[in-house]
Amino acid sequence: MTTALLIIHGLVAVALLGAISHQTLATWAPAHARPGSFFSRFRAVPSASFANAIVVLYAVSALLGGIVYLYFRVDIRPDLERAGHWHALGLFDLKEHFVAIGLALLPAYWVCWRRPRADEPPRTRGALTSILAFIVWWSFLIGHVVNNIRGFGS
Amino acid sequence: MTSSHAFRRFAFAYGLAFAVLYVVALKLDLALITVYPTLGVVLPGTHHSRDVAGPSMAFLAPAMYWYGWTATAALGALMFGFIAALLPEQWTRRLWLGWFWLAPALAMIACVYLTMPWFRL
Repeated sequence: MTTALLIIHGLVAVALLGAISHQTLATWAPAHARPGSFFSRFRAVPSASFANAIVVLYAVSALLGGIVYLYFRVDIRPDLERAGHWHALGLFDLKEHFVAIGLALLPAYWVCWRRPRADEPPRTRGALTSILAFIVWWSFLIGHVVNNIRGFGS
Repeated sequence: MTSSHAFRRFAFAYGLAFAVLYVVALKLDLALITVYPTLGVVLPGTHHSRDVAGPSMAFLAPAMYWYGWTATAALGALMFGFIAALLPEQWTRRLWLGWFWLAPALAMIACVYLTMPWFRL
């Protein structure tokens, strides 16, 4: 059951990672009308249309992470403490904090993309998107590192 | 139209207040609830094992505070959000919009600072 939840959590995170990366790049470096390269096509997406999906994926991923976290605290973390993986535990703590802050930013993020005001500077929207993108990337990478800490390369 | 504006004020105030209150809750260890996953128990408030038994209890029944810190910040932010939603539009327009992304960014830096002890072990 825990493994299934962790895999679903990972799959949702992958979808979220893709969506937020597209949107962030499209926000800061919009492509020209006729994108030629792969990088140009990657950022040539209608950014606003990603907002709903990102909010839902982030919320679902946070919810699943919150459930899996219970098992992590009981089954995994004591082993990591005994093995002295303090840095990994510190990085994972940061992931928890960042995810909580990001979760609370979702309403403002959604408003910026779906109900933008005419006099609102686009920098606010871009900054909120970038913060969420950083949180998603951080969480994905740290979650992956902690998940694999006793596996390949250990 | 009016409800849309009110939700906008709520959303921005909630995000800003949550970021600030989360750091406060983390620094002062103000968890609304403490979760003991091995026991399946949720206690109101912040409970440390040394309050009720020996330090070894932390290994037998690990306590989780993250849910509590998040709940504390969420509850406080909800109050700020509702207050902001009730305020007249002119009042909130004076606030620099940059605070709504700068405050969370600063809160994340504060979280890094508060997590530094892990990296000194």
